[in-house]
Amino acid sequence: MDPSEVEFLAEKEVVKIIPNFSLDKIYLIGGDLGPFNPGLPVDVPVWLALNLKQRQKCRILPPEWMDVDKLEDVREMERKEESFTPPPSPYYMELTKLLLNHASDNIPKADEIRTLVKDIWDTRIAKLRLSADSFISQQEAHAKLDNLTLMEINTTRSFLLDSLNCMFKLRSNMQPGSGTGKALDY
Amino acid sequence: MSDALSDGGSDHDDSQEDVMTPVELIAKLEEAWLNEKFSPDLLENKSEIVECVMEQLTHMEANLQRVSKGDTKASVHRMEIDRIRFVLSSYLRSRLQKIEKFFPHVLEKEKSRADGDPSYLSPEEYAFAREYLANTETYLKAVALRHMPPNLQSVNMMKAVPEPCLDSFVFLRVKERQDNIMVEPETDDQREYVVDLEEGSQHLMRYRTIAPLVSTGAVQLI
Repeated sequence: MDPSEVEFLAEKEVVKIIPNFSLDKIYLIGGDLGPFNPGLPVDVPVWLALNLKQRQKCRILPPEWMDVDKLEDVREMERKEESFTPPPSPYYMELTKLLLNHASDNIPKADEIRTLVKDIWDTRIAKLRLSADSFISQQEAHAKLDNLTLMEINTTRSFLLDSLNCMFKLRSNMQPGSGTGKALDY
Repeated sequence: MSDALSDGGSDHDDSQEDVMTPVELIAKLEEAWLNEKFSPDLLENKSEIVECVMEQLTHMEANLQRVSKGDTKASVHRMEIDRIRFVLSSYLRSRLQKIEKFFPHVLEKEKSRADGDPSYLSPEEYAFAREYLANTETYLKAVALRHMPPNLQSVNMMKAVPEPCLDSFVFLRVKERQDNIMVEPETDDQREYVVDLEEGSQHLMRYRTIAPLVSTGAVQLI
């Protein structure tokens, strides 16, 4: 899956905006939005929030977890624990990227948040690499991946799955009989 | 003008089956999209969902025709239509890719299914697979086979084209709790064991073990 497709899914997340225009309720296929009144916060999906922001029609309120104190706590937890801690949001990386790239003027301490999220991401990816390594060296057949976000899974997906498939083919070719008839996709 | 738009979502509910609202329909489409994207095998076709979504889109587009270009509401609707259309075409495209990759096996499976069972391919996909098979055969004949000695002039497509590898690993999220899922051992000195899949948990395991759960909707591939 392409990272942009993960981002596409993240854009469905709901974020609060403060519009500077007024508009009736919009009846979208995927649910109703609005009504929009100047100065009154309203929930919209991220894709619409970013579009309105680009047209300078609204101010985006950062999600609750996008806060320096909270993220510092998450970072400490993530460094302390050996397993994965619950992520601040299932799309924390994508949302940080999208919101900070397009609406950094609406988010207090944007630079600090960017660094914190990157730290959290790096710690988690390091853990992910470590667990992938032990998964392969112990030749496990099942792993539980709670608290991993889609973007994190996606960064390791093609490499991990391809290596596992490759190892499976090598192994089934070594045991004569078991591998025959299985068409191998070279 | 705004009436034309407001109608779009609401008056449509009646023509849908009573069980599914447009919101659920879109969620179902996205589920099917991700499952199809990540499963190594071709899944059952969801032409019902595809048709319903197409109907929604056409209806909404027809409504938008009547609205002036610069309207804010209309532009929001257009953006939503584009997003849904993207998911829809990505879904159909990944099915076509799998059909191209595994066409003899897909056709064989379709031939061998019992009469009452639901079809794996939509009629259009079936026609595509048939044509793809015929064209590949014609092509191979024209380019190489007819120059071969008579005893080598045929090729068995079932053997020439790889089968879907059901032993691939997949990532999945559990939507309905499942007990006692058998995990086969990787090596001979390991023993098989069972795991419970709890609702909301995420796992990495072989597609073969959980394939039936994907088609019942108990797990979602991610």
